[in-house]
Amino acid sequence: MDHLTLLSSSTLDDYVATVELPQRKDTSELDCEIIFRYGAYVGSVIRVYPSLDRAMDTAREYISSQERSGKSVANGSVILASSLSFSKGRFNRSWHAPPGGVWGCLILADTFLPPFRNFLPLIPGIACCEALHQVGASGATLRWVNDVLLQGKKQAGFLIEGFRSPVYGEQYHLLGFGLNLNNSEFPPELQETAISVAQVLGHPVAAASFALSFLAKLRYYTGLLLYEEERWLTSGGRDEYEEEHPILKRWKELSDTLGKRVLFGYDVVESPQYEAVVRDISVDGGLILQHDDGSSSVEHSGEIRYCDE
Amino acid sequence: MSDEIDFDEILGKYHSDPYEYVDVFASHTGEIRFLVEEGSTIDAVSGEWKHILGTALFEITRERNPKKITATTNGVVSSLNSEHEGCFVEAGEKLMTIRHPLKKKEIIESILKEVLYVFPAPERAKYFFSPDVQSRIEKKGAREVSVKPGDEIIIMSLMKRDTPVYYSGAKGVIHSVYFTPGLSVDQGDPLIGVCPADKLPLIKKIITRVKADWDNHQNEV
Repeated sequence: MDHLTLLSSSTLDDYVATVELPQRKDTSELDCEIIFRYGAYVGSVIRVYPSLDRAMDTAREYISSQERSGKSVANGSVILASSLSFSKGRFNRSWHAPPGGVWGCLILADTFLPPFRNFLPLIPGIACCEALHQVGASGATLRWVNDVLLQGKKQAGFLIEGFRSPVYGEQYHLLGFGLNLNNSEFPPELQETAISVAQVLGHPVAAASFALSFLAKLRYYTGLLLYEEERWLTSGGRDEYEEEHPILKRWKELSDTLGKRVLFGYDVVESPQYEAVVRDISVDGGLILQHDDGSSSVEHSGEIRYCDE
Repeated sequence: MSDEIDFDEILGKYHSDPYEYVDVFASHTGEIRFLVEEGSTIDAVSGEWKHILGTALFEITRERNPKKITATTNGVVSSLNSEHEGCFVEAGEKLMTIRHPLKKKEIIESILKEVLYVFPAPERAKYFFSPDVQSRIEKKGAREVSVKPGDEIIIMSLMKRDTPVYYSGAKGVIHSVYFTPGLSVDQGDPLIGVCPADKLPLIKKIITRVKADWDNHQNEV
């Protein structure tokens, strides 16, 4: 399967039932069938476009137009495009989205409990990293929070932006994703920092198959977030969640951030703040940094770059 | 907000007792072990990135998971609820009060907070103005930027998740900005102080009066 237009919610359901669920059952002690049921709304509607300006804008327009025409928004809707004309990253950074990659947005209504929202940004990075391992890109790693790196360069990037719907005031998370798959040419400003899967593997990958695998994993980990919420509530649901969340545990297994000396900044490209060593990740996903004077701090927002690269 | 402010009464209050009394509460349920005594001097969190912890105030243990709670403000422990030593407390139980000496700037801010509408941080996160508000501030200055309920004024950033924050409060201009982009703000701490445009002269009068009066008072002392 190599064309995004072949994707639909039913192909995703089939893929989950025949590929993803059996694999999970073989490797996990958790009740994967229930977890997939919790996450089943992810990809329940998939809209594929040959090209868009920005998938995030399309998601906002979709939500607004649905509400204005008196219809409800399908939670978990996915918007996919073969290319984007005006894509951008955080802080309006350049993001090149030509044909060959997978670009899109997942619409999630904010039904998550406050102690669990922090784990949402970890999900797309984990899903992409696992999908890369499955196609043979075994060197894929995660850099806090959710940058996916291959050979030290960024293969995938994710944005999560809040959006309040105009009619009903519903709060949404718009999870934007950009996956460099078979696109191999980058504009000059990105050549040193971006990379595609095909560049690493030396051959193209089937974009639609990769997208299916990625979406199935988004479904699983979104389900896991809700499954763990339910388990926590059943056990009393105290004011703070102080266990190591299984999503965070999986993130740690896939990340190479721990122990690294990093440059930290809220916008680390334009305004780097300081260097420190990553000692651990806090139970709520924060970066525990040890400074040169021996003191330490925890950062929950911002971004890092590795100092040795 | 009234146009009539009894400056003498407000200033007299700060002259006679130039302190803020900060109550410290149990952050969650657990067993308490105090690490300070009544009269102990307390250091606040410090460092350029707020990375040097303040004085450890108490340890709270829940399910064999001890957590040291440190001071965010400096001062002296003016009262300690020592009856809780070694006891299990509920979340929100008052444990001590820190007497924090106010500086001139803090007194001005404290008075202003009584007359401004203070918009608090919804979660512990980093905050920055939304692009539209930021560009208006850069062009004209914050005090020329008016906001009204429902406006998307600030972006809350947490774990690379950017959420718009909508203003809910009195319509007015942004008089005070309490956050610094890039530094975390605790839940409930003030983000901005807003006042109706026609009240700006009154605010200016407050600041001028407090500055002059405080400087004179300090000279006399």
